[in-house]
Amino acid sequence: MSPNRRVMIVPCSGIGKTFGTVSREAAYTVVEDLRPDAAELVALSLLVLGDEEARAAVAEHPTVTIDGCRLACATKMVQESGLPVARSFTVLDAFRKHRDLKPEGISSLNLEGQKLARVLAEEVAEAVDEVVRGET
Amino acid sequence: MGEFLELTVDKFTFRFATDRYYHPEGVWALPEGEGRVRIGLSDFAQQSGGDVAFAEVKPVGTAVAFGDEVASVETMKTDIVVPAPVSGTVAEVNPALEMSPEAINEDPYGEGWLAVIAATDWEADRARLLDAQAYLERVREIAEEEMRKR
Repeated sequence: MSPNRRVMIVPCSGIGKTFGTVSREAAYTVVEDLRPDAAELVALSLLVLGDEEARAAVAEHPTVTIDGCRLACATKMVQESGLPVARSFTVLDAFRKHRDLKPEGISSLNLEGQKLARVLAEEVAEAVDEVVRGET
Repeated sequence: MGEFLELTVDKFTFRFATDRYYHPEGVWALPEGEGRVRIGLSDFAQQSGGDVAFAEVKPVGTAVAFGDEVASVETMKTDIVVPAPVSGTVAEVNPALEMSPEAINEDPYGEGWLAVIAATDWEADRARLLDAQAYLERVREIAEEEMRKR
């Protein structure tokens, strides 16, 4: 295990979509709260625009994607850039495991949406740990 | 499966299988002979609803009348009450939907079917349904109305 190994988190960029908001809230929770020393956020929009710094970050570090829906734009964009995805998550799968946490709202999630983002963030944080340990 | 009609509104393209009939609320009905009618959600209904998280169909043996709720589909955006497009008894439920409800999104006219109903009077119910072209026109009206609201 490398103590300095950092993991890039690439969430959905679906602005104006509830599940996109959940994915980004989950990503913020991982990088700001749960694993600030191990995880770092990369904006999908920067990858789409071909930003060299964002692309280099994803190329040089293991990447975990968080997609809002089955279109899986975050995962596809990373892969289509020729870069590997270490682990991928979707808000839809998280909701299937936690049916009582139906998210609503866009700029401001309802309580269930906030809880869903939290449980998704905890799953992602565990994946970050596994990636850092070299298990993925 | 037969051919498809297509309707493009803004960035969305909806497909309509021409070999079946449609309840105006977005449920297709495909007669298979011997009184059996396979049903499912139209492409427009599944695209409007968004990613399906759960699909629950009334169990085999349940009697339904035309328009009764025969299934419920929960998506990330909304809950869809699926009306029966034919009266009869639920004879089969798609077993794949429990583990893979996304089949409704991925293949609404095929693997994403919801149920088979043993119809009591298919000919009478068919007269209340729309063919693909008529349903396409209804969807066009709905979609264009939605566009005007934006």
